[in-house]
Amino acid sequence: MDVQTPCVNRRQFLLAGAVSAMTVTLGSLFKGRVFAADEHKTATVYGFEKKWIAKLSEIKTGDTIVFLFPREDAHSLCTLYKLGVRAGGGIGPDQDIVAFSDLCTHMGGLLRGNVDFKSAVAGPCPMHLTTFDLRRHGMVVSGQATQNLPQIVLETDGNDVFAAGVVGLLYGHHNNMERRDRA
Amino acid sequence: MTAKYEPKDHVPLPPKDASVHTTACDYCIVGCGYKAFVWPKGREGGPGKAENALGIDFPVPALSGRWPSPNQHNECLVGGKKHNVIVLPDPDATVVNRGGNHSIRGGCLAQKVYNPDGPTADRLKTPQIRVNGTLVPVSWDAAFDIMAGVSRHVLSNFGESAWAMKTYSYQYFENTYAISKLAFESIQTPAYSEHDKPGPGNDTAGVDDSGIVTFSASYHDWEQAAVLFISGTDPYETKTIIFTEWMMKGAPNKIIMVNPRRTAGAAYAEKTGGLYLPIIPGTDTILHLALARIILENGWEDREFIDHWIATKWEIDSGFGRGPRNTPVEWRTTWDKIGVTDFAAYKEWLLAQPYSDLNTAAQLTGIPAKKIRATAELIAKPIGGVHPKTSFGFEKGNYWSNNYLNTASFAALALLCGAGNRPGRVISRLGGHQRGWASNAASYPRIQSPNKYQGRRKQEIDLDRWVEAGHVRFAYVIGTTWLQAMAASQELARTFQKLTRDNPHQVSSSDASSAVDALKKRADSGGMVVVHQDIYPVDPIATEYADLVLPAATWGEEDFSRANGERRIRLYSKFCDAPGEAKPDWWIISGFARKMGFKDYDWKDSNQVFEEGARFSRGGVLNYHPLVWYAKQIGMRGHDVLRAMGTRGIQGPVRFREKPTENAEYLDYAGFFSSPKRRGMIVGTKRLHDPDHDFGAPEGPTVHQKWLSAFGSHSGKALLHKTPWDLYSDFFERITPREDELWVTSGRINERWQSAFDDSRRPYIMQRWPGQFVEVHSEDAQKRGIESGDEVLIWSDDVLIQTGGFVATKDGEMTYTELEKAGRIRIGHGEFKGVAIVTDDIRPGVVFADFLWPAAPANSVVHRVPDPITLRYRFKLGKGRIKKIGESPYKKTFDEMSFAPRTVM
Repeated sequence: MDVQTPCVNRRQFLLAGAVSAMTVTLGSLFKGRVFAADEHKTATVYGFEKKWIAKLSEIKTGDTIVFLFPREDAHSLCTLYKLGVRAGGGIGPDQDIVAFSDLCTHMGGLLRGNVDFKSAVAGPCPMHLTTFDLRRHGMVVSGQATQNLPQIVLETDGNDVFAAGVVGLLYGHHNNMERRDRA
Repeated sequence: MTAKYEPKDHVPLPPKDASVHTTACDYCIVGCGYKAFVWPKGREGGPGKAENALGIDFPVPALSGRWPSPNQHNECLVGGKKHNVIVLPDPDATVVNRGGNHSIRGGCLAQKVYNPDGPTADRLKTPQIRVNGTLVPVSWDAAFDIMAGVSRHVLSNFGESAWAMKTYSYQYFENTYAISKLAFESIQTPAYSEHDKPGPGNDTAGVDDSGIVTFSASYHDWEQAAVLFISGTDPYETKTIIFTEWMMKGAPNKIIMVNPRRTAGAAYAEKTGGLYLPIIPGTDTILHLALARIILENGWEDREFIDHWIATKWEIDSGFGRGPRNTPVEWRTTWDKIGVTDFAAYKEWLLAQPYSDLNTAAQLTGIPAKKIRATAELIAKPIGGVHPKTSFGFEKGNYWSNNYLNTASFAALALLCGAGNRPGRVISRLGGHQRGWASNAASYPRIQSPNKYQGRRKQEIDLDRWVEAGHVRFAYVIGTTWLQAMAASQELARTFQKLTRDNPHQVSSSDASSAVDALKKRADSGGMVVVHQDIYPVDPIATEYADLVLPAATWGEEDFSRANGERRIRLYSKFCDAPGEAKPDWWIISGFARKMGFKDYDWKDSNQVFEEGARFSRGGVLNYHPLVWYAKQIGMRGHDVLRAMGTRGIQGPVRFREKPTENAEYLDYAGFFSSPKRRGMIVGTKRLHDPDHDFGAPEGPTVHQKWLSAFGSHSGKALLHKTPWDLYSDFFERITPREDELWVTSGRINERWQSAFDDSRRPYIMQRWPGQFVEVHSEDAQKRGIESGDEVLIWSDDVLIQTGGFVATKDGEMTYTELEKAGRIRIGHGEFKGVAIVTDDIRPGVVFADFLWPAAPANSVVHRVPDPITLRYRFKLGKGRIKKIGESPYKKTFDEMSFAPRTVM
């Protein structure tokens, strides 16, 4: 099953390279990696410079890989999870590899290291116990966050896994693109 | 239908010159402080701290409290022009939600604001009348003419008890004062009931009768407690900030949670050294008795407290034994079956109860005996000779399954442990909605109520039964989802259908006099005229049954005041326009009352109502009369003094002190206000039943009630009540599920509030909870071939409904057994659909659903037989059968609804 071929639209915007945002359907963003019912739904995606994360063949079920994306700063803490069950937007032959921001969208608590693979849930956030569904695009399972956990768009090129974009506003930002120190 | 959720990419920041308004959350009891930032559309603040009204550089750090998430932004109208609005938990708060903590409910408050281009565009905007079955716009004046014309006719031909009011009890002091003035002073109807019960009166009579004010505690007490016994609720789910900001910060503490369903808070309790007690619904009284017995048999009770604070035989009789014994509190506390005893007699009674035996209790409650014993040790066993600092909180799982006995036995248990009147050792409700009723312009006319218990025991009305018996000809319904919120919902809806739409007399012209004629004929023929006043078109009472639908203004659209679960009174500021011609409820009541010819409804604004209502709050825990008195002395409006106190507000009862003895810490918590124009200050009251606090002598308009420093009884001491299980066991046995029936219990889920009137218009919440759900234990699911994501039907052909029987004359006449013998129980049908969630977090034999998803109300399978002592429904004790009827769309999507466990901890 070839699920790694990115759609033309997404390739165009990602290859356009540089730091931009666009609205796309989930069907084109995660081609072949979402249920038919979800394909027409849309999301705004930030495309950033692609960043190499891992070798696909080396990621085992139950693994987490931490990385920084889209920048090299404290608001860019992310984790890749190989869940062992199919997930919305998942890559790999089993569509079970996903990545999310590590910052709770309630008040910015650090989720890193808090994951329950049995139920594919991130959290509980050590601050106020919010949990997020890693199979369902970071939807809150229980708790106090007022938006989904931002999902990192992953893509593969052969055996290489790249982070390529962000769906949803990262905690602490008013705009994923902009920082005070870069404004 | 609400659009699909799409994660937003951007949130506009308020510019430096945005206007800032103090407010508090519209939803749960906690009442977190919020600020609304409003500025014209087309501009945005910048990410530098000098460029935005939040005064911080973006991106902001964790816990800054200054991150407006996309759901905290909306657009609104101000003076008819589009504005941006950000509703942010107050990051500067030092009370309630310190530092800007918030729940998901309040965190999405901005989404409730009326935005003509958003999901709230369907707000009611004009008064409407149903003509030939269809609602059409009508002027306010005509609507009032019609209401008044029909009301006068009903009152003069059928009497006050044929003119009913069903209303919320909590949407702000100004509105509820106006409601009380209309219903109790001007109309004087006994046919009155609030949103969550069939008649007025105590919610938790057993606790009240014990001398405990149900909202006596401060949130700080929950932090100070070393052990928390929490019955019938999970505060993490339903009063989040009490849990995350106060209980969790009291660590290391131990939490015990009693519920048929293991929730996130219960999982946290277990993880942190506490206990979860998976109780069989409805058996709390037995648990309380068993715990009390273990404590007494081991001598773990707090003898010093009992000697000082539990009424002796002599003290019990002081004030009782005289008078007509005609009020509920008089007859309940003097009735030999449940009446008050002193400690020695209570102990003797308790030890003689077969149900207090540990093994019997373990079997009947379904809780392992060792867990019951471990609980008794945690809450009462002295450590090194010192009694544990235990607090007792409770809610509807407790008092809406066996109202009187559960609450009275709960209070007795807590008192034996020495709780009730010390910091961190409190007995209190944790609360549902906020406390929005401070003043009664007149008292409820109980003496005119048709309900009476055997003997000379007058009760408030059971309005649902009264409607079903055909006694109501005009019903004025304000801000409530009456039918689905009451027991046997579908049967009640059928009654409404019969009395309204199936009646031959329907309005065929919006001309006021012709409408009045048609509706008078309706009333004369035994039918009922219904007026529904709300912010949205509520289905079906407004959309199907109401003859008039009136548009109300709400939170953010008018200056209002209200108190939270620690009696903290704040101003809820107006910052945007109400839609169309929508008006606040007090204004609507005033318009109708003036048409009726009633005097003194000429209010110019909500502050006038607030100030007029003040003196009627004087005896109560929310007494704010000293605030208004002080405001007048310094030439300010009452609302403006409240506004100046911001999100801290002031805790009721408000007191005036020339020279306060309260220290800074107390004042910073409880709130205060002073002006150089007048000596002294007004101060708040942190905790009730506070014998160690120096309240001084009452000064100025200050009122000192006994419960301020002692308990709320004649003697100032707390009272222990007998709670014999036999008074309830016949009903309990009758409703216990048989064969393949299951208990059907219900409650709030963290992410939704009440009937989802706002949440159903929030794409973010709707992706998580697109409809009704039903949690089923994996064993029960497997037997029935049910998987998570399946659509299931829950139904019952055995919904018990009490009919008639308003007046009892003989002993025992109101017991379930006797009601059934007398033919006063009819059997109805109820059903609802939901999406199955298969889980091991619920007891086998029990299913759990949202308590008020209007399109699929769980109350449909709840018996409409109230507690005979208090006339409270047993909402938590439905029963029914469950079967798969298909697959929901959520089984094959990653985009809506989650089936992951909510107890990952």
